[in-house]
Amino acid sequence: MEGSVLVIGGGIAGIQISLDLTELGFKVYLVEKTPSIGGRMAQLDKTFPTLDCSLCILAPKMVEVFRNPNIELMTYHEVLKVTGDPGNFTATILKKPRYIDEEKCKGCGECAAKCPKIMAPNPFEMNIGKRKSAYIPFPQAVPPIYLIDSEMCLYLTKGVCQVCKKACPADAIDFEQQPQEFDIKVGAVVVATGFEMPAEKLSSRWGYRFKNVVSGLEYERILCASGPFGGHVIRLSDEKEPEVIAFIQCAGSRDLHEDVPFCSSVCCTYTAKQAIITQEHSENSSCYVFRHDIRAYGKNFYEFTQRAQEEYGVIYFQSKISTIEEDPETNDLIIRYEDLKSGEFKVFRANLVVLQSPLVPSKGVKELGAALNIDLDRYNFFQEKSYFEKLSSSRDGVYLCGFCQGPMDIPETVADASGVAAQIADQLSSVKYTQVKEKVFEIAEKQVKLTDEPRIGVMVCHCGINIGNYVDVPKVAEYVKTLPNVVVCEANLYSCSSDSQIRIKELIAEHDLNRFIVASCTPRTHESLFQETCQEAGLNKYLFELVNIRDQCSWVHMTEKEAATEKAIDLIRMHVSKSRLLQPQMEHKIDITHTALVIGGGISGMSAALNTANQGFKTYLVEKEKELGGNLKYLNVLYPVHKNASELLNETKDKVEKNNNIQLFLNAKIESIKGYVGNYDVSILDSDNKVQELKIGTIIVATGGQEHKPDGLFEYNEKNTNVITQMELEQRLNGKDKSWLDGVKRVTIMLCVNARQKKGITYCSNICCATSIKNVKILKELKPDLEIVVLYRDLQMAKKEFEDYYRERRKDAIFLRYDLERLPEIKKKGNKPEKYGIKMFDTNLQDNMEFETDLLVLATPMVPADNLKELAMMLKVPLDKNGFFLEAHVKLRPLDFATDGIFLCGCAQWPKNIQDSIAQANGAAGRASRFLSADKITTSGLVAAVIPEKCIGCGKCVDVCPYNAISLTEEIMEFEDISMTIKKSSINSALCKGCGTCAATCPVGAISVKHYDFNQINTMIDSYLLEKIETREDA
Amino acid sequence: MSKSKKKASKEWEPNIVTFCCNWCSYAGADLAGVSRFQYPPNIRIIRVMCSGRVDPTFLLKALKDGADGVLLSGCHIGDCHYISGNEYTDERFKKLHKIIIKQLGIDEKRVRLEWVSASEGKRWSEVVTEFTNQIKKLGPFKKSN
Repeated sequence: MEGSVLVIGGGIAGIQISLDLTELGFKVYLVEKTPSIGGRMAQLDKTFPTLDCSLCILAPKMVEVFRNPNIELMTYHEVLKVTGDPGNFTATILKKPRYIDEEKCKGCGECAAKCPKIMAPNPFEMNIGKRKSAYIPFPQAVPPIYLIDSEMCLYLTKGVCQVCKKACPADAIDFEQQPQEFDIKVGAVVVATGFEMPAEKLSSRWGYRFKNVVSGLEYERILCASGPFGGHVIRLSDEKEPEVIAFIQCAGSRDLHEDVPFCSSVCCTYTAKQAIITQEHSENSSCYVFRHDIRAYGKNFYEFTQRAQEEYGVIYFQSKISTIEEDPETNDLIIRYEDLKSGEFKVFRANLVVLQSPLVPSKGVKELGAALNIDLDRYNFFQEKSYFEKLSSSRDGVYLCGFCQGPMDIPETVADASGVAAQIADQLSSVKYTQVKEKVFEIAEKQVKLTDEPRIGVMVCHCGINIGNYVDVPKVAEYVKTLPNVVVCEANLYSCSSDSQIRIKELIAEHDLNRFIVASCTPRTHESLFQETCQEAGLNKYLFELVNIRDQCSWVHMTEKEAATEKAIDLIRMHVSKSRLLQPQMEHKIDITHTALVIGGGISGMSAALNTANQGFKTYLVEKEKELGGNLKYLNVLYPVHKNASELLNETKDKVEKNNNIQLFLNAKIESIKGYVGNYDVSILDSDNKVQELKIGTIIVATGGQEHKPDGLFEYNEKNTNVITQMELEQRLNGKDKSWLDGVKRVTIMLCVNARQKKGITYCSNICCATSIKNVKILKELKPDLEIVVLYRDLQMAKKEFEDYYRERRKDAIFLRYDLERLPEIKKKGNKPEKYGIKMFDTNLQDNMEFETDLLVLATPMVPADNLKELAMMLKVPLDKNGFFLEAHVKLRPLDFATDGIFLCGCAQWPKNIQDSIAQANGAAGRASRFLSADKITTSGLVAAVIPEKCIGCGKCVDVCPYNAISLTEEIMEFEDISMTIKKSSINSALCKGCGTCAATCPVGAISVKHYDFNQINTMIDSYLLEKIETREDA
Repeated sequence: MSKSKKKASKEWEPNIVTFCCNWCSYAGADLAGVSRFQYPPNIRIIRVMCSGRVDPTFLLKALKDGADGVLLSGCHIGDCHYISGNEYTDERFKKLHKIIIKQLGIDEKRVRLEWVSASEGKRWSEVVTEFTNQIKKLGPFKKSN
């Protein structure tokens, strides 16, 4: 078996899989057919719902891939075929000629600067911008090397020019390069080829042929600060700022008359994002969204679309588009549409139209499918092995991740990526660490002594326009140059890009720097990137400082450029002062316990436990109830494949019970959790009320969710047996006795009960619509003459399967649409048999409806499990405002907590269906097993240390240390003829977490906290307040 | 975000030293940025790993150096990344506030302890806005120096 993996596709999916796989002990060959990794995410301006700058959160990961010694990056390569069996595949790879020697190219860009051909359309800019024939796809490209477009190059097409060859100082231009084929051996293959967004087919009805009609991805580039217009929102016909911008959702999708019948699942949310950013960028614009249903599928996404309307004034029309035509005089667009709220046909004039065109599998999937011998589904997405195994393809050992399997957003992609890595770790567990090597820094660490004169380098980041627009960066840089010990200071566009990392290393070497500072975003996301860059340049990573001038400066003072500039200047000066006093620090390795604890025995918890156990780690699974299964126990059949829930439950339960690595605690309760990553002490009260003490390395939280009970709403109360929730319907359907259906002629299912509203439960819980559609089918099968009415607001049918699933059910039920302003009125009309009168206004028909129903089913949102607060306190992890667990980062760390060593999955994070729960559980298991796979954990150098000469041995520090890292030791002191025993405290640096509470407690100042020492903090205060006057005059 | 507020150029602006713990309050302040919640530009944040690190002498030093206000912020009680660091912060701060500040004759409103979590970006901007306004009302701590 081979301990290596081929990953096809270098977007966020491929990047995350590769990084996780190396941490699990595998070598990765990452093949990307374009010249850079980054994929679609690199093209996005910002990401919903946090409006993080997309490249800012992606670039560090791209750089990490580039630096990882266990990832062989093959950009501008393609996979031709894969033969062999799981564990022993042979892949044939094609290396396409760049005509530039990647070993020699330094990415200086001279070739592009001198290249005379300027007309090539730039696919990275969605062909809005232009590029040279010699080019780099985008400034932050990884690898940061150039290539020559053979179809555009004058020399390669006409045999003249070669100017680049003369211009290149590295002698890297090589027109003799030929395509090369070679084989690699791998144990597993992952396909992560993503999507594309072709709009050409939207020419006629949707008006894509007009200049001022752009696709969503094109608009993304228009918005982007590093895009073709520098982030100024302009339209193409006259390059003027459009005042009225129309966003058309579902353009060319969700319709049998179009090519794409499915819902792309992400457009509703990114439309809201684009509208918000537009409003932020351009003061005079107003945004209008022509929507169908709102399908904001994901955590807090529905509320995000509401925020666009309430906070940013974006106007939404529930509508159906007839045509989009151009006014030839003004190049404005005339949109004819039906207003579904009033039933009227209307005309709307817009200066710019953004078509949210369907997202479809990338070009070449058919060929790739054939080369890999894996199946495609009817929409040309890769077919998953079975609905509940979406991470596996139809061929064993070949895995799927991201949009190539079906529409999904970035967090889901990232979670699935970790899930794929986990499944591979399971498949190849016997060959972990057989083909990997450890990271070694080529340049030996420079000795920096206390007495050495500080030589500080500073880089000030524009972060596109994120800092540059609100802080006068050149002025800041000029000022910083005047500070004592600052040897060099430069400003740049993106400090996090790989070319900037090279620049930092150059600066350190050229100027013999012994400290480095980057003033940019936040240390929470970027400090480790720059620290590693410093290490590569031979600088101890603790000699680096990051100054936060974006998240805590430019972004929060957007209307006060002068004050923000002054603040940035102060902050950098404070950090320069601190930097002078920084010292190199050492890191230590500590042992870990190779066991996992999974909290919650539902489908998520069981799936996670199975994965860690199959990887060979002892896993403890704790469930509060008497039986495994969680919510799955109460379900009848599972959509959309109509598999019996009990079947899936029994299969999974069986595997768990038979697995020797899993120890089950049913009817058990967690009493306490102490310790830290790798070394937790957990007390569990088992079913016999006995306390079990466990040693745990890592913890996975899978506590699930529960259905909200709508007490008192719509006649739901104890007396009324025929007003039930969806879960109660499931249980009735699950039971053998179906007599409850006997007298029932009409069933009414009401969606969004107590959900998606301003007060109470504000979110959409994503799963109720499909559940209702499923139950329509089941009820109809049970009793074909039953009349079913569905009252809905929007139908949440995101994902590739569900549009058709719903379409096929339309004939089985009457779908009536209501809105929040006019809630249906439901009154009990009779007792034996029970009858309910429903009065409602159907917005589709624009008419009042009045009818009776025998059975009323209320679809309510899922809410978090009970008593999570107590568990959250024990784990020291946060809950979000809705009471679900709060992950470390909603976009790129959906399964991690900020605290090392603890992970989450399933409905503990957010309501989700069985498919997603299983995939996410695997992901959490993958993230967790990265720790377990390692031999030891490297601790931070940020620890506290006792200065023995000052210590008086009072022991106060011992009392306050939460990690038992401090102890009092006895020393014998000799004074001439007397010897006496004195006490001194000492700190175990392996156990110390560096909080510094001991230092603040010590009455004599005998404890120093590395990196946050007394003199370091004091000098920051001094520098801010005492050196300020100069800058004010200066400023 | 649309209309820029031009400040009167010579208006007095307070200097406020702020300590944030890395895990909750610093992250909360970052979230305020990510969410673009605007607040006055008078604070300068000094990051420490835990609010428990903040020795009372830092607060006194800031005032001595000429700060007009000092804000200290950590995780909510029970949320401390280091289990109990903020409980000691609380205890120490109360002592500092009740005894020393009063003995030194400094208005206790100039020194404040707040708990702000990583998910409270909005609250962070509100706390800073409110505290800055309060300090503005109190006026400069030291008129000369």
